[in-house]
Amino acid sequence: MSHVYASRGAVRGLETMGAWLLGLLWILPLAYAFWTAFHASEYSTRFVLAAPLTLDNFVTAWNAAPFARYFLNTVLLVAMVLAAQLVLVTLAAYAFARYAFPGRGILFALVLVQLMVMPDVLIVENYRTMTALGLKDTILAIGLPYMASAFGIFLLRQTFKSVPRELDEAARMEGCTSLQVLWKVYVPLARPVYLAYALVSVSYHWNNFLWPLIITNSVESRPVTVGLQVFSATDQGVDWSIITAATLLTTAPLLVAFLLFQRQFVASFMRAGIK
Amino acid sequence: MFSKSSARAINGSCGFLVALVAAAAFAQAPVEVSFYYPVAVGGPITKIIDGYAADFEKENPGIKLKPIYSGSYQDSITKALTAFKSGEPPVMSILLSTDMFTLIDEDAIVPFDDLIRTSEDQAWLKSFYAAFMENSRTGGKTWGIPFQRSTIVLYWNKEMFKDAGLDPNRAPANWKETVDYAQKLTKHDGSGRATQWGVQIPSSGFPYWLFQALAVENGVQLMNDAGTQTYYDRPEVIEALQYWVDLSRKYKVHPEGIVDWGTTPKDFFEKKMAMMWTTTGNLTNVKANAKFDFGVAMLPAGKQRGSPTGGGNFYLFKKSTPAQREAALKFIKWATSPQRAAQWGIDTGYVAVRADAWDTPIMKQYVAGFPAAAVARDQLPFAKAELSTHDNQRVTKALNDGLQAALTGTKTPEQAMRDAQRESERLLRSYK
Repeated sequence: MSHVYASRGAVRGLETMGAWLLGLLWILPLAYAFWTAFHASEYSTRFVLAAPLTLDNFVTAWNAAPFARYFLNTVLLVAMVLAAQLVLVTLAAYAFARYAFPGRGILFALVLVQLMVMPDVLIVENYRTMTALGLKDTILAIGLPYMASAFGIFLLRQTFKSVPRELDEAARMEGCTSLQVLWKVYVPLARPVYLAYALVSVSYHWNNFLWPLIITNSVESRPVTVGLQVFSATDQGVDWSIITAATLLTTAPLLVAFLLFQRQFVASFMRAGIK
Repeated sequence: MFSKSSARAINGSCGFLVALVAAAAFAQAPVEVSFYYPVAVGGPITKIIDGYAADFEKENPGIKLKPIYSGSYQDSITKALTAFKSGEPPVMSILLSTDMFTLIDEDAIVPFDDLIRTSEDQAWLKSFYAAFMENSRTGGKTWGIPFQRSTIVLYWNKEMFKDAGLDPNRAPANWKETVDYAQKLTKHDGSGRATQWGVQIPSSGFPYWLFQALAVENGVQLMNDAGTQTYYDRPEVIEALQYWVDLSRKYKVHPEGIVDWGTTPKDFFEKKMAMMWTTTGNLTNVKANAKFDFGVAMLPAGKQRGSPTGGGNFYLFKKSTPAQREAALKFIKWATSPQRAAQWGIDTGYVAVRADAWDTPIMKQYVAGFPAAAVARDQLPFAKAELSTHDNQRVTKALNDGLQAALTGTKTPEQAMRDAQRESERLLRSYK
């Protein structure tokens, strides 16, 4: 029997090594960003362990654009989008999962079609709508087109469908109204899915660039990604030190959040089945 | 053409009436002029532009300027055209000079000619370098005003020249010398891997721009003035591409494959190559970051000297009121005055767009301390319009794909240029 375990051990070892290798490959760009951001630009392509550390790049980057305001805008944006998405998506998914009504199939198909359409294709039409609503150049205008999320509706509908009917019926026997059933039975059971969805949504909107750039004009409504664009000086080549410092600045909140909640995120991704 | 221009005239006069009424109704309200501008070089460009707007408003209380930073050039035209199609374009915008045909085809811009009335205005329009106006005029009309413009120049590392036994103060004057110099400047380590290249011409992103310099030097332009015809498969063009390919494959003095535009200045600072071709827009960057003595020279001549121009122009958008257009023109004239053109050139590294800017005291002082700054100006008499045609993005892409195919060795230069020309003929068929 022992040889079976031995070969298992070898496979395990290989797996671990593979995982480490992939992990290293994954972390390399980030490690490079850290190295470059904290050193003067002459060290950006040279690795000298004793190179003096500096925070100048961060100072320059911070002063090159009103990042404090941009941060506030981005936080407001992702919070607003996420809050609206969670409410809309939950209600829509509940209806699709548990209510039979005429046209349900067609409506759900329409929602799924939305998944196939790249948001960039709709830029002109969305711009027109926002102008008609008088919302151009506001944070609301950046978020509004994304609030009814097809992906979220689909994801939650599948989750809600997997909730045993018996729980639903038991709650109703106890006298719960429809909304109470949703709140007390479905939502708690879908918590890992919510968490995973929230992470995807927040990181998407945190990083979204083209639409926010096009629909906004002023510092008061622009997110960090638009501010970051100042550093990609295409005529001149790239100053890696500054751009990596600025990138670290803008992604730091997400990175920190991920490190803090890493265990929960991974667990919920496993359960929600999105990878 | 006739019906289109008469329709334009009618539109124009209606707009004028509406504007008269509007002007009467809001005689007190300041004219609001929004404009988009991209940032394509390092440095605090947004702050300089905001400063311009504030200064201009102080001098012109009746005008309210709204400068709107719009990302890269590519982002800017996307943003401007989206806004235009949705009904609310900016009054003016700085966009690539090569976007001219695209903007005309979209019927998004108006020519400046209708606003030029006085002889003073005409003199202003004539004050710009002819090379920059080539990309700003077509069909007898002026559609763009040069603002942040550049050309390609050669930067060389004087220390490496000295080490290779070359005169450190003299750059190669022609293609043959380039090869001779570069052969002396290329170094290999024990295993035959190059540790130092003789020359580097970037070929990522927009290889057509650098290639155009080679083509012009070889005596041909890549397109006609009307933007309806390209000459990618002319023998001189193929010859120019053969020279570029030979630099790496035959003479082995230039890195093989695609050379990245964005990291080329960094390679220069890191002493990975002795000579680089890049934009004058890099001058301030190189001056600040090169830790060695460097020189700047005109591009080496083939049959003649030459370089395309590059960079951005001011455009006036349709759907603006006559009052807004007048105000916009006032700002454009203000921003391109000799004094400001000189200051803008010094701050950013762009070539000051008119001859009299170089006679201003600040510019004279700057050039005296940093003679390299004048090289781009001296090259302007040899400069030609940057490649620009109708359906510009796709026609240019056809050439880019062909160039990269030849440089990576998947096609011969001749095959690559023939394919590119065929594609461009197909795209331009409907514009003839």
